[in-house]
Amino acid sequence: MNRVRKLLSSSSINTMLIFVVLVVVFYFFTPGRVFVNPRNLRAIGKFIPELGIVTLGIGVLMICGEFDLSIGSILPLCTYVFITMMQAKLNPFVALLAACAAGAALGLVNGLITVRGNIPSFITTLGTMMFWKGFLYVFTRMMPIDLRTFLPPGSFFEKVFLHEIGGSFPIQVVWFLAVAVLLGVLLHTHRFGNRVYATGGNRMAATAMGIDTGAVKIICFMIVGVLCAVSGVMETLRLESFYSTQGKGYELKAIAAAVVGGTFLSGGRGGIGGIFLGILVIEILEDGLIMMRVPVFGISAFIGMAVIVFVLLNSFIDRTRARRRSAGSNNGEG
Amino acid sequence: MKKKLLVLLAVLSVLCFLSTQALAIDLPIFPNKTPQQMYFRIVTHGGDDPYWAVVHQGMLDACKELGIKADMDFCGGDLALQLKRYKEAIAMGADGIGLVLNDNTVWDQPVLDAFAKGIPVVSLDTDDSDGAKGNARLCFIGQDERAAGRMIAERLFSKGKSKGMDMKKAHVAMAVEEPGANYGVMRSDGVKDVMKEYGITSFEIIDAGGLESATVQSRQTSYLLAHPETKFFIGLGGICTDRIASSLKAAGYKPGEILAGGFDPTPGTVAGLKDGYVEATVDAQQYLQGYYPIVVLYMVRRYGFKPNNIDTGGYLVDKNNLGNIDKLSPKHIR
Repeated sequence: MNRVRKLLSSSSINTMLIFVVLVVVFYFFTPGRVFVNPRNLRAIGKFIPELGIVTLGIGVLMICGEFDLSIGSILPLCTYVFITMMQAKLNPFVALLAACAAGAALGLVNGLITVRGNIPSFITTLGTMMFWKGFLYVFTRMMPIDLRTFLPPGSFFEKVFLHEIGGSFPIQVVWFLAVAVLLGVLLHTHRFGNRVYATGGNRMAATAMGIDTGAVKIICFMIVGVLCAVSGVMETLRLESFYSTQGKGYELKAIAAAVVGGTFLSGGRGGIGGIFLGILVIEILEDGLIMMRVPVFGISAFIGMAVIVFVLLNSFIDRTRARRRSAGSNNGEG
Repeated sequence: MKKKLLVLLAVLSVLCFLSTQALAIDLPIFPNKTPQQMYFRIVTHGGDDPYWAVVHQGMLDACKELGIKADMDFCGGDLALQLKRYKEAIAMGADGIGLVLNDNTVWDQPVLDAFAKGIPVVSLDTDDSDGAKGNARLCFIGQDERAAGRMIAERLFSKGKSKGMDMKKAHVAMAVEEPGANYGVMRSDGVKDVMKEYGITSFEIIDAGGLESATVQSRQTSYLLAHPETKFFIGLGGICTDRIASSLKAAGYKPGEILAGGFDPTPGTVAGLKDGYVEATVDAQQYLQGYYPIVVLYMVRRYGFKPNNIDTGGYLVDKNNLGNIDKLSPKHIR
């Protein structure tokens, strides 16, 4: 029961409320209720998981007190590794493993520089973001690469990541849920999860307790790297081409989604449930606003405003609950 | 008093004459300077976009053939950075500069400054809207963007009319990666010119959200689902065009239901042409926009030739003339 409560932390419930309100608003205010049109649901079911899988990793990293701005570079670089392995006629599953290994290695580099160099992760990953991007452009020359040259349509590998179950339910959603459950179990039931929270909440106290906070952070960075690889390959399969600009801008969206989901920028607070809902909120907001025929030029302004409003709302609800709990315990003592 | 006025008038006349003479001053030539001793700089506003990889390839091939050294700057749409790079090129004493005139006023004085130092400047890709009247550059090498917009619009609208479409009720959607950028504005102006001829009054320019392909596709899909009145869909840039076929499929459209087209023959666009989702695309032949500036600057620098404008595009590509594109695209020539 405690574990369920932890999973459905107060911030998750707030985000759930926001999500439900958005769905209701878009249901009633989109012409012809097109927001819940099966085609639209199928479309968002395909593209939300790509950002979502990476954001889950970013959220875990933020809980342990760090940031990763380089995901917009790690994602395409890992995908390029996948494409290069495919060009070398390797099995696509082996190519995917190679991409994940590359992601883990890039995450390790971020972690080592941040922890051993004692440099803020914001700065480390800002630098690696630019470095990996330049590195990628030297090799790709910014040219797209057609996936169909190496992977025929309808292959088993493609079906594993792109299939529509029952002809309509995108399998990407299953992968997204699977990653969420895996990270949820790791974060909320495993000893490692306790270490993540302790590291993010109070690093000095965690160290005093005997936790190797450096190792915790490095592992979190590596998790982000691996998830970038998985997401990048899924995206390439859906787009049928590799682009050097894949993942561009994901870092800020991921951080926004995690914050909307109740993750603290300072670390130590947040939950997988909230992060999962935060991703849904951010992504359906964009889709719903376009469905409502809001002038598309104003979309970014609306999304920015919504992020601020949701975070303020989350903060207000948390403070109100904390005051009530405190008042309740005082009355109990009296 | 009369005498003073006459003197003032004479001085003003001489000043005016001198200023016009300043523009007409011949640049120094170096007939004995070998190609190997020359260095040119191409300063562009381009960024992580496959279009510029082809321009770059053109420049590299011209340099290789002539034995000249040259560098290309990609300033990612940052005008201040582009100006900085341009001034660095002047300070370095480059033998010639190729410049993208992506602003009508910022470049007027800097081009004159280069001439004052004896450095020839040509424009490529995007010209001043007023051409030679608006900027003193020696010549423009590129595609007439407005004409290119007219070309694709004419193709799509004439097809629509031949299919019996009611043009007065037709809605035209134009997606652009970077709202406000010169390329999108001029191309859309060309489309609007043809819209007037066909009596089409309804249109919208969509902010596709940047260069990230998945984001572009999701916005275009959402737009198509929310606007079933759309009869024509035009990608104003290469990435938007590249994602048209996938967006139409995701929105549940069959090939030809919405007449679509755009710019640049990227892999997704070529696949769309083959599948029938994309009617045609305009190839800017941007390879020539990297190739010709080097040749022209060399001729100006060595022999003092006075160059004329070179129109490099647009070449309308459809499924009937794809063969060439397929062969040359992997070599970064198309």
